[in-house]
Amino acid sequence: MDTLPPILVVDDNHDNAEIIRQYLEVRGYPITVAYSGDEALAVFEQVKPALVLLDVMMPGRDGWETCRLMKAHPTLGRKVRIVMVTALDEWSDKREALQTGADDYVEKPFDLPKLATTVQRNLAMLSAAS
Amino acid sequence: MNTSTLLTDSSDPQVADAVVQLDAWRAVVMPSQEIARAIGHERGIRAVYVTAESPPTLREIVECAHAKGLPVIVGCKDDAARRRAIELRAEEWLRLPADAEEIAGRVRSAVMRQLPGDAPNGDRAERAEQAQMLYDFMTGLPTLPVMIERMRPQIKERGELVVVYFNFVRYSKIEEIYGWEKLDAVLETTAAGVKEFLDGHSMQASRVMVSYTNDDDFIFFHVPPPGEARASEQQITTLVGRLQEHVAQRIEVAHGEDIAALFEIYVGLARVYYNPKLRLERLIYRGIREAATAAKSVEERERARRVDDLRTSVRDRAVYVDYHPIVVTTTRQIFGYEALARGVMRSLRSPEVMFDVAAEADMIWELSRLCRSRAIEGIETRLGPGELLFINVDPHDFADPAFTEAEVKDPSRVVIEITERTAIKDYPKFRERLKAFRAQGYRFAVDDAGSGYAGLGSIANLEPDFIKLDISLINAIDSNFIKQNLVESMVKFANDHGAQVIAEGVERSEEFETVKALGVHLVQGFFLHRPITAPVSGVIAVSPKP
Repeated sequence: MDTLPPILVVDDNHDNAEIIRQYLEVRGYPITVAYSGDEALAVFEQVKPALVLLDVMMPGRDGWETCRLMKAHPTLGRKVRIVMVTALDEWSDKREALQTGADDYVEKPFDLPKLATTVQRNLAMLSAAS
Repeated sequence: MNTSTLLTDSSDPQVADAVVQLDAWRAVVMPSQEIARAIGHERGIRAVYVTAESPPTLREIVECAHAKGLPVIVGCKDDAARRRAIELRAEEWLRLPADAEEIAGRVRSAVMRQLPGDAPNGDRAERAEQAQMLYDFMTGLPTLPVMIERMRPQIKERGELVVVYFNFVRYSKIEEIYGWEKLDAVLETTAAGVKEFLDGHSMQASRVMVSYTNDDDFIFFHVPPPGEARASEQQITTLVGRLQEHVAQRIEVAHGEDIAALFEIYVGLARVYYNPKLRLERLIYRGIREAATAAKSVEERERARRVDDLRTSVRDRAVYVDYHPIVVTTTRQIFGYEALARGVMRSLRSPEVMFDVAAEADMIWELSRLCRSRAIEGIETRLGPGELLFINVDPHDFADPAFTEAEVKDPSRVVIEITERTAIKDYPKFRERLKAFRAQGYRFAVDDAGSGYAGLGSIANLEPDFIKLDISLINAIDSNFIKQNLVESMVKFANDHGAQVIAEGVERSEEFETVKALGVHLVQGFFLHRPITAPVSGVIAVSPKP
């Protein structure tokens, strides 16, 4: 049975989302995929993800706004770990990311093993907190 | 008792168990294709649970159910099914396989959502937005639109309303220094403290509180209860005084005295009288503006009093210095002390407040001179062999003719901290001055480094010997990998430029361990030492916490 915590993958690019889903599903994580910020917010309460992998560049509600709204959720916001999927090269990019409440980031294009490590280290923070 | 029917196409035994868990429910199972029709004539249906995969069938079922005002729960085998369920605006969906408890829970919540008076089942994202706008997520307090609706009948009946406006003046300072996460936490404590206080108070029955979402001001409505005289201004002022004390105490316990020193409320009152010709909302907004203006004038009066306090303090040299130890991360040996000047007068205890007041009174140089000379006394009286004294100097102080490199006997014991937060206007001239000081043996630290977006470039410009990281980067760094990444790059930068990094505001062992692992050279914070108000002479006994 599933004992690993649920992960929500948000990416408007279906191929990217599929790649991440397959890679993480093989590792036993229950994955839900959403193709937009709105869709991610719509499923957020039901999926109750422990971690969200959030693409930044999406049409409509982008990753930053989605992140801010998720972190502002009255009950889930405190617990969820949010990993932004984007390259944060400049100091100012990272500062901006902190402003939204994001916990971590992975760069695109993916290095899948790195993605797995990032997921693990963030989930480890959760179990340390509980 | 009437039995509710769950109409379903699922023969999963878990559904039967789920129905048992629900009180007075039964399941009617039939093939997917027949459900839509059954919704029309089957009696006692309260909800529909479908697992059909065919999109047209699913659509038909949801449409029929919604036409009858019935909630639909969709069992989804995969993401595609889930997406369809959301598109069709089903009240609930769940992932298959699901156990009986899950199914029962979803049915229950779907029925709840469908209760009369509920808006047509809109987009959930939109709903979440609304929920957040109506209740401030930080404090859990209802916001204005909610409050006005709730209070309307009472105000009409009583004919008047007192608006009390709380303005927390220094809260913006907390955010500036410690970052937004800290202010969020302080606001949470504040709201809890205010609620706790009012719950135990006689005004409880008539009080309500409101806050703007994510803002740091609170509004409080008081409608005198029927048969009771309205509260006099005197009563409310007394109440607020006690409230202030109560909340200040809570904040000191939760966040320490430095933050508690920045806690100040100014209160304004306004009365609103009901008039059927005017819209209540507008009346109330007007009342709030009036109360806010009143709070402002209280603040101004208070400021004038503080300026007086400051003049007296400067004249009497009524400033003392706390010395906050800075230790070597690896050995925990004392490396030096940061001198923190504080006013002897209670109203000027916080250095931030004191310098704010000085700026207003145009007395920055006078105050700086006093604080510097007080701090420098510590070289003789407080420093152990080899230890350094860190003093804060505002970039504007370098323009003060009284501030010269001859100020100290042994400049090699002194590190001048320059905050990154103050904009430096004339860079070439400023660097010229630094050079003169450096030639005498003074060293430099960039304070609050990384607080802005500027990054490493502006730090490199000052060629510092020490880089003091902004507190907001250290707060909860153990659980935030972006902060760790930023600090790591700062350490690398420092190592490349022959500088040392100081982590300020280390309050927890996890934070200490994290900055240690990142290679931060020096550490300052309550986790290791509190600031020391040392006796005037003699060596300070300092023992690290176990």
